[in-house]
Amino acid sequence: MIELKNVTKRYESLTAVDDVSFSVKTGESFALLGPNGAGKTTIVKMLLDFTRPTSGSLSLNGIPSTLAECRQSVGYLAENNHIPPSLSGWQYLIRCAELLDMNRSEAADHCRRIVELIGMQGRENTKISTYSKGMVQRFGLGAALMGNPKLLILDEPTSGLDPIGIREIRLLLESLKDQGTTIFLNSHLLSEVEKICDTAAIINRGKLLVKDTISDIVKDGETLEDVFVRLVKG
Amino acid sequence: METSKLSPITRITKYTLIDEVQQRSFVIMFVFCAICVFLIRGCYQGNYVVNGQSLDAATIVRMLSKATFHVIGAGVMVISALLSMRIFRRDRTEGMQSCILSKPIARWQYAMGKIVGLWALSVLFMFILHSIVFLITSINLKVFMPGYLIASLLCSINLLFVVIAVLLLSLLMSDIVAFLCVLGVGAVGFVADGIAAASHSQIGQAMVQQSSGNPLSDLTWWKVVYFFWPKLLGVQQLASSLIDSESSLGFGSIYPIINVLIYCLILGVFLFKRFRNEDIV
Repeated sequence: MIELKNVTKRYESLTAVDDVSFSVKTGESFALLGPNGAGKTTIVKMLLDFTRPTSGSLSLNGIPSTLAECRQSVGYLAENNHIPPSLSGWQYLIRCAELLDMNRSEAADHCRRIVELIGMQGRENTKISTYSKGMVQRFGLGAALMGNPKLLILDEPTSGLDPIGIREIRLLLESLKDQGTTIFLNSHLLSEVEKICDTAAIINRGKLLVKDTISDIVKDGETLEDVFVRLVKG
Repeated sequence: METSKLSPITRITKYTLIDEVQQRSFVIMFVFCAICVFLIRGCYQGNYVVNGQSLDAATIVRMLSKATFHVIGAGVMVISALLSMRIFRRDRTEGMQSCILSKPIARWQYAMGKIVGLWALSVLFMFILHSIVFLITSINLKVFMPGYLIASLLCSINLLFVVIAVLLLSLLMSDIVAFLCVLGVGAVGFVADGIAAASHSQIGQAMVQQSSGNPLSDLTWWKVVYFFWPKLLGVQQLASSLIDSESSLGFGSIYPIINVLIYCLILGVFLFKRFRNEDIV
C-alpha cells in the first residue's frame, strides 16, 4: 500500500531523509517513530506530495505519490492541524465531503456519522475559533476519516488531547484497524503506539534504524521506549 | 475536460468566493465603493461650460459616465490585487491548502479554482459598480448606454491579468511586495499609454519637433514599452469606446486585448509551474 524506495530529501546542506526504503502492507498498522527533527513529518509530506524527494520514489496504492489519483482513498491528519476559524466544524466537514465529490445529502449523512464518531455532537455548529486545540484535532481527525479511507496517515493525532481524548482516539483507531484500514502513524506516544500498531520503524537524523513488527523490535524485558532510547542514543 | 476534473475546480472556486465575501474587509470595501459611486450622481446635475458654451445634459452624462467607468475599472484592479495577494498565505496558515491537496485533487486544479474564484469575484464587484452607474444614467437621467455593461465585461480581462500576476508574485515574494509590483506594472503601462497618446496629439508632435528637430526620435524606448508592456489602459480605452459605439474593431484596436491575454497565458503557465514545485506546509 505504501512504498518508499531509496528516498532522500535534502534542504540545502541539511539531509532530512537519507536513503530510506520501507513498505507498509494493506491492513497493517504502522508507526513511524523518531525524535524531533528525525524526518518523520518530511516522509509524510513526501507521501502526500506536499514536498518532492531529492532522489528516490514513493508510491501509494501502487501509484506514484506525484499523481493526485494515489490519494483517492487516503485520509490525512496534519501535525498541529489548523482549520479556517471562520467556519463551523460542520461547515468544515461538509467542505471535506464535497471535495471528495459527495453530493449534498450524501455529505450531510456522512458528516453526521463522523460528528458522532469524533464525539462532537452538539458542538459542530459553533465557530472553530471558539474550539480548544483538542476539539480542532478531533475535527481534523473527522476530516481525515471522510469517505471511509482505506489508508489513514496521521501525524501526531493525539496532540493537544487530554488523557480521555487520547483514549477515545486510540479506541477509534483500534476499531478502524479491525475494519481493515491501513494506518500510518507518526507519534511520540510510544505506549499508545504499542497498543495500536503491529509494525514500526525508527528513524534518527533521516536514517532508518529499524523496521519490523513491534513484537520483534521489543525484546523480552524491554518496552518500546527502552528500544527507542537505545537505538536513538546508541 | 471531464466532469470529474472540473468538479474540484468548481468547488474550490465556490469556497474562494464564499470565504472572500465573508471577510469583513471585503464587505467594508464593497459598501464604501458603492457609496462613492452613488455620490457621483450629484455631478451629473451640474452646469458645465466649455469654451464659453454650455454642455447639454446628454454630453455631460456620457463624459462623466466614461470617466467613472475608468475610475471604477482602475479601482477594482487595485482591489482585485489586494484580494489576491493574501489568498495562498491565508489558505496555508488556516490549513485549507493541505486539507484540499491531501485529497485526490491536483495542484493545477487547486490553483485554477483560486484563479477563477478571485476573478469571478472581482468581475462581479466591478460589474455591480458599473451597473449602479448604468442604472443611474438610464433611470434618473434617461440616457441609455447599452454598451456600458458590455464594456464592463470586456474590462474583466484586466482583472484576470491582475489576479494571475499577484498570485504568481505572491509565491515568489512577500504579499505586499507582490501587490506593489503589480501596481507598478499597471502604473508604468498607464504612463506609457499616456505618453503615446500625448505624442500622437498635435501639440505633442509640435513640442517634440521644436525641441529636437527629429520628430519622435526620443520616444523609441517608450514605444517599445507602449507595445510590449501589459496594455491595461489600452483594454480600458477599447472597452470605454464601446460605450459610445465609436470604435471599429480592427486588429489595431483589439491589440490591447491580445496583448493582455498573452500575458495572462504566460503568467498562468509560470504560476502553475511554480505552484507545482511549491512545498505545502
